[in-house]
Amino acid sequence: LPAGLSQWFPALEVLDVSGTGLAVLGEELLALPRLHTLLAKNNRLGGPGSLPKGLGQAPPGRSLRVLNLSGNRFAEVPPALLGLRGLQSLSLGGNRLHGIPPDIQELRSLEFLYLGGNFITSIPPELANLPSLSYLVLCDNKIQSIPPQLAQLHSLRSLSLHNNLLTYLPREILNLVHLEELSLRGNPLVVRFVRDLTYNPPSLQELAGRTVKTRNVPYAPSDLPENLVRYLSLASNCPNPKCGGVYFDSCVRQIKFVDFCGKYRLPLMHYLCSPECSSPCSSASQSSTSQSESDSEDEASVAARRMQKVLLG
Amino acid sequence: MEQPVQTETWKARSLEELVRILHRIFAEDKVSVEEVQALMESYESNPEEWLQYAKFDQYRYTRNLVDNGNGKFNLMILCWGEGHGSSIHDHTDSHCFMKILQGNLKETLFEWPEKKGNGEMTKKSERVLRENQCAYINDSIGLHRVENISHTESAVSLHLYSPPFDSCNTFDQRTGHKHKVKMTFYSQFGERTLC
Repeated sequence: LPAGLSQWFPALEVLDVSGTGLAVLGEELLALPRLHTLLAKNNRLGGPGSLPKGLGQAPPGRSLRVLNLSGNRFAEVPPALLGLRGLQSLSLGGNRLHGIPPDIQELRSLEFLYLGGNFITSIPPELANLPSLSYLVLCDNKIQSIPPQLAQLHSLRSLSLHNNLLTYLPREILNLVHLEELSLRGNPLVVRFVRDLTYNPPSLQELAGRTVKTRNVPYAPSDLPENLVRYLSLASNCPNPKCGGVYFDSCVRQIKFVDFCGKYRLPLMHYLCSPECSSPCSSASQSSTSQSESDSEDEASVAARRMQKVLLG
Repeated sequence: MEQPVQTETWKARSLEELVRILHRIFAEDKVSVEEVQALMESYESNPEEWLQYAKFDQYRYTRNLVDNGNGKFNLMILCWGEGHGSSIHDHTDSHCFMKILQGNLKETLFEWPEKKGNGEMTKKSERVLRENQCAYINDSIGLHRVENISHTESAVSLHLYSPPFDSCNTFDQRTGHKHKVKMTFYSQFGERTLC
């Protein structure tokens, strides 16, 4: 950046130095108190000192809202930018990042985070501490799993995960009530889990326990051996909300393909009381509703209430 | 559209002229696919002419209606942010022309899934379309997914559909299952449509 930049243009709000071959953004930046948008994509930034030290404390540290560093050579998220507490939009797409620092949570105002096209292998749970994050792009990386904490990103509207190394998603993802877009294509999702589907039929003890619970058979600690009382207290409710069933040890670690609102099917790992469970179970406590709809539509109506539109594939 | 009756070589020197020529072509009973594709390619993209229609959305690609062709066709501009892509979709028995106005788009062609297929859909081919190139597809050719694979540049494309349609099927690549979806416009004739 030319020396004297801040003297010639002290009121500069938008600076676009994309495609100029810059290797360093120097201290000239620090004296631009009105700078809210800095675009520096497709340059040679990435070495140590690419961004001026003290960027977070200097005047633009408070004013900067949009920072685009895509198409550069950053191998790590430059620590200098983690002090930008007012930053709303950050793009580091198409760089050489291998990870995301937990201190990313310092960017308290962040709404838009684009990290597609890097070499990221994992996501720190601290990413979930960004209270305003609504658009998160992690496509074209090497991510193997999503931490369940990500479901705490209540503002998330769009999550891009396509072309990674994901084998499943945590079920908690359903808690993202405002999620409208979700891309998952190009992940090794299906193949792994279709092969791994196994089901060990429940033991007689389990079957008896299930009956006790679902039919509310009354019992007192004096009626049963202590170990069975303890056993009965460990019943888990089948997460299928239409099923009143419970399970103890025997459950299916299953990937159900859930069809969200007519778009694609999402493999969620969760536990169900039996392989047949995905629609109203044939237990006496349930009113019989038509099971002519395919399983996926039942789960779809559940998720449909929460998610509006999910792009998958 | 059937066999070409009389294939002219058109040169559209502006977006306005392109629209005018399209109206002329589609007023006829018979329209030639080659003629329309050549016409679309002949237009050299000039952002000044289409910027008013190019409304981007942060979260996904947008469809912006430019002209409704007296009911014979729909001409629209699609805006793709970095990483934005479409689902695999069909074209409801219509002809689809797609011209790149800015940036690049990757088109992946897929075979139609088997009737009761429950397997991964078969990729036929893929290519990256460059600025001013125009691709053509219809249901007999196959299905496709279109995406902006750039992480640094946005993309803009000009689409012509004839006859116009407002719903299509989207397909799950892993299973071939399809589902009908309604398509909406983010803006029409340069005005944002709120729905």
